[in-house]
Parts: sequence; structure tokens; C-alpha cells
Amino acid sequence: MNPSSIPALETPESLPFDLMRVPGLGHLFRWRYARPLLQAPLLILSVIMILHGLFGPALAPKNLATTLSWLHFRGVLVLVLLCAGNFFCLACPFMLVRQAARRFLKPRFNWPRALRNKWLSVGLFVLILFTYELFDLWSSPWWTAWLIVAYFLSVLVVDGFFKHASFCKFVCPIGQFNFVASTLSPFEVKVREQDVCTRCHTKDCIRGRREPVSDLVVIRGCELALFQPSKVGNMDCTFCLDCVHACPHDNVGILSRLPASELMTDPIRSGIGYFSRRKDLAALAIVFTFGALLNAFGMVSPVYAVETWLGKILHVNHEAPVLGLIFTFFLIVEPVLLLGLAAWTTRVWARSPLRLLPLAVRYTYGLVPLGFGMWLAHYCFHFLTGLYTLIPVTQNAIASLGRPFLGEPRWALTGLPANVVQVVEIGFLVLGFAGSLVVTYSLAEDDSPDRPLRAFLPWAAVCLILWFGSMWLMFQPMEMRATMMSG
Amino acid sequence: MGTSPARASGGGTGLPRLLDQRLLGGVFRQRLAMWMAGCACTATLLVTGCSRPTESLPVVEIEHAISPQPVRVGPATVTLKLADRAGKNITGAHIAIEADMSHPGMSPLFAETQETEPGRYEAHLEFQMAGDWVILLHVTLPGGKKLERQIDVRGVRPGVRSN
Repeated sequence: MNPSSIPALETPESLPFDLMRVPGLGHLFRWRYARPLLQAPLLILSVIMILHGLFGPALAPKNLATTLSWLHFRGVLVLVLLCAGNFFCLACPFMLVRQAARRFLKPRFNWPRALRNKWLSVGLFVLILFTYELFDLWSSPWWTAWLIVAYFLSVLVVDGFFKHASFCKFVCPIGQFNFVASTLSPFEVKVREQDVCTRCHTKDCIRGRREPVSDLVVIRGCELALFQPSKVGNMDCTFCLDCVHACPHDNVGILSRLPASELMTDPIRSGIGYFSRRKDLAALAIVFTFGALLNAFGMVSPVYAVETWLGKILHVNHEAPVLGLIFTFFLIVEPVLLLGLAAWTTRVWARSPLRLLPLAVRYTYGLVPLGFGMWLAHYCFHFLTGLYTLIPVTQNAIASLGRPFLGEPRWALTGLPANVVQVVEIGFLVLGFAGSLVVTYSLAEDDSPDRPLRAFLPWAAVCLILWFGSMWLMFQPMEMRATMMSG
Repeated sequence: MGTSPARASGGGTGLPRLLDQRLLGGVFRQRLAMWMAGCACTATLLVTGCSRPTESLPVVEIEHAISPQPVRVGPATVTLKLADRAGKNITGAHIAIEADMSHPGMSPLFAETQETEPGRYEAHLEFQMAGDWVILLHVTLPGGKKLERQIDVRGVRPGVRSN
């Protein structure tokens, strides 16, 4: 039977809501050039940010590079992840440049087997967080511009040499952030009817659609090695829609689902395997969760007291070693202590047959909602309190070109009042806390059907400690210094 | 006896052959030259664009003080003393003050100075957040000449809590 003649089944009313069925939106996403269309504005914006970062005002509040990167991009990113899915990766401007470059540069190598995991990207994620604090990237348009340039160059180098989407899957720190956060998104790229896939012989969603005679790929399959029929959740999915375009049966949609549901189960996942056996993924989830608190800690007053105190004890004046110690505490010592203790208690109290490390790995994913709540609270604070600053900064940038057709900069425009935004922040933290409790309880029910409460309580205690820590951070006076250890 | 056709150049696979053909082709060389020229232009622009041009400005000494010390969130007074090269006070200048935080998303503060005694100017600001601030002085000298100066105010501390 010719696979293309398999009819897609009618969508019953019980099926989830499908974004691809929305008039207009579905047509757009099915269009082959939807991705470049969405990428092009972001590429133009990136070029403007680079140029303004390098040649515009040196003050961060007056520069488009810093304002757009550290306020608007981060805020919109987390809100889109919360309300929809990983649509930033869909519209990623770096990939547009990569695609253009691949017309001339054909990658010849496969990504090294030893690096086919998340360890490198976890390291880069930590490095980005570290350099953000060390070089105060938020206060430097020049460094922000070079960071964007470095990102473009990294994409070109990695994907210039290595086949498929090596950069997205194994390198990109923003991508890893999006992958983890999108486990909490309400939409997922997924097959509509498993039966259709069972009867499909061509598997175009992974192999790509090919010319019948020449066997040349005309529409690419998934570059991240996610085979749609056995794909579970959003991990590693860039929403690139290649599978949507490649599927000859129109059987792939963007379907609604319960956010975080993919964290509550542990099936084998295409391109990933079992979550519970992926220590690298668990490490990514730890950096995502504990890094959220660390990143916020870097913006409040107590951090400077801690840094000064550490500097005096260690007799060092340079920021790097002190910051290194703080990072070690937040990203290694604290997680090892909290997760280790919780895993040990679960093992003893709930008589779990699992050993300590597999137990810790398994429940680490339960902390992701808390981490995302903290990222949301932090980024939305900056985004919402500085929401309108884009207007005067743009006016100023245009005026500096000698044609102030948008008028004189209205510097009085800022954003929502901080006390209003604080309510939103608390809402995100409560939501994240509740999400983590639900996920860890589901895992506990699976692990210890006889004693779910005993397995759950140690992890609930970890969630509570982290939640209190997040709430405490949110009520600290903000102090945005580009210098530390000044006493 | 059969003969096999000679290869146009080098390798047996398609890719090196294609590369060779391109390398030998004038179009490719032209494109390469254009690309390199573009890179050179960009590099030149980056290097020259990142250094600010200097202009000859009248020599004006500006002394500044901010009180109270240490600077905290809340009201503060900026005092400026303007003198020429000979140390003579400059009177009748107009100084507009703009204070910005180091982080984007914060609106700048604006204030006008008042000359409290010859050559001494004062302005009142209210720092709204702890952290690093930058004060920009937009000075218009009596002759109409304009100049700008920047004062870094590092580590403004949180305000004293009343509760």
C-alpha cells in the first residue's frame, strides 16, 4: 500500500486542542517558509542590537542591545514558554544564518559520540551564568553585542562542521533552557493518531521526504533525532516543524496537554531514552532550578555582603574566585546536600528499592516547575517594570541618526509599578511550588504505591526550602551593581 | 584495452571535485575577494567605531561631591565646582544633571543645578534603587560652549529601613 494514500483519521472531539487547526495559524505553520518568515524579523532585530551595542550609547538603559536582551527578550521568552511552547527556537535567528551558510558549507562530520549528551551544554549554561555575573553583562551594551556575535559565530562553526542540528541539541545554552522550561508548556509537537504512524512505512518525519527516483531529501526530517511516534514531551524539540512539513499524512500537530505531565512519567523517549537514566539531563535540571535562585541572588543586596565577607576571609580582591565559590555552593554543594538527604530519607523511610543516585536523578525533574517559577518571577520583574523603556530607547536611537521622526525620547516611560509586579512574581512562585509538589507526588505514587506519602515528604521538604528561599529573595532590596567587593 | 577518463581534478568524490572547480573558477575567486573585503571593512568599522572621537573642549575643572556619604537610596545633594584652567571660578553656567542606573529598564532622573555661590552649583536627586549609578553632566558654559562629563557613583546602598 502506498503510504501517502493512508487517510488521516478524523479528529474526534475528545482529542486535544490543536494549534495547527486554528484558521490562519495552521496555514502559516504548514507553509514551508513559515520558519524563515518568523526568523527574519528576529535576525533584523539581532543586527540592530549588535550595531547599537557596538556603536550606540555606552549606558545600558539607553542602548537597544542591553534593553532588548536583558529585559524584553528574556521576559517574552519565559512568558511564551509558559503560555504556549518553545516558539523561540522556532523563530531562532541563529538558525536562519546557519541555513544560509549551509548553502555554501556542507557539514561533513557527525557530532562526536562522547559529546552526545548534555554535559557540554550544562557547562556552557553555567559559563553563561558565571560570565553574566563576572562581567556584568547587563550593564555593558558592548559586551552584550559581542555575546550575540559570538553566538552567531558558534552556530556557524559547530553546524558548519557537524551534521544535523548539533548546535541545538548538544551546545546551545539558550536551547537547553528552552527545552527544560518547555516541559511545562501547554503545547507539544505530537502525532495526532498513533494508528496512522503504525501504518506508515516511509517514516518521513525522521528520514525526511525524498524524491522517489533520486532519493534526495526534499523536505528534511527531524534533525534532533526525535522520531514522532515515540517522541514524548518537549525535551529537545525546537518546534522547527520539519516533521509537520515532512509527514505525508498531515498527522503531526501542535497539541495541547497538561503542563509538566511529561515530568510525571518516565517512559522511553525517542532521541532521549529514560529521564531517570540520564544523569546529564538531571544535571541540566539542577542548573536550571538552582541557577534560577543563584541568578536572582546576584541582583539583591545580601550578595555583596557575602562577597565582601568571602573576600576578606580568603584575602582576595578579585571577583572571580569569590564568585566561583558562590557558584560552587549554589550549583554543587546545595543540590548535593538537599537532594542527597531527600534521596536517603526516601530510601530509608519509604523503603525504596532504588539506590541513592538513581533516586536523586528521578526526583530532580520534580524541581523544574519551582525553577521555572523563579525564572518567571525574576525575568518578568525586569520585563514588566521596564516594559515601556523600549519606547524612549528606540526614540533615542532613531534621534541619534539625525532623523527624530518618533519624537524626542520620553524617558519618563518605564513600566508597571513594582508593587503590582511583586504580586505577579508571588503568583509565579506559588504556581511553581504547586507544580513541583504535584510532580514529586506523582513520582512518589509510582515508586511507592504503598507508602506514597513517605516517598513524597522528603521531596516536598526540599521544594519548601527552595520556595522559601525564592520568596526571601523576591523580598530583598534589589541592588544592581556592576562592581562588587567594594566594601 | 579500455581507458578510463581522466579526472578533471584530484579527488574521486563529488565534494572535492566541486570545491576544486569552484576554487579554479573566477566567479568564486571574485566572491571570495568581495567577502574578504567585506570582512575587512566590518573589522575596520568595529575597530574605529568603538573608539570615541576626541574633540577640543575648553579646559574646565569640575569638582564634585555627593552627600550624604555613603550614598544611600533616598535624597542626595550633588555639589559641583567649576573652574577654568587658571583656577578661576566659572559663574553663570547652566548644568543639567541626568542620573542613570547601570541596568536597563530604569528611567533616568533629571535635575537642574542652581548656582549657590560663584562657581558652585547644587542639585538635588533622589536615588530610587541601590546599585551603581552614572551621573551625566550636561554643561553649557557662559559663552555657549557645551560639554558633557560623567560621574560614576558606585554602590549606592539600600536605604535605612524605617520598620
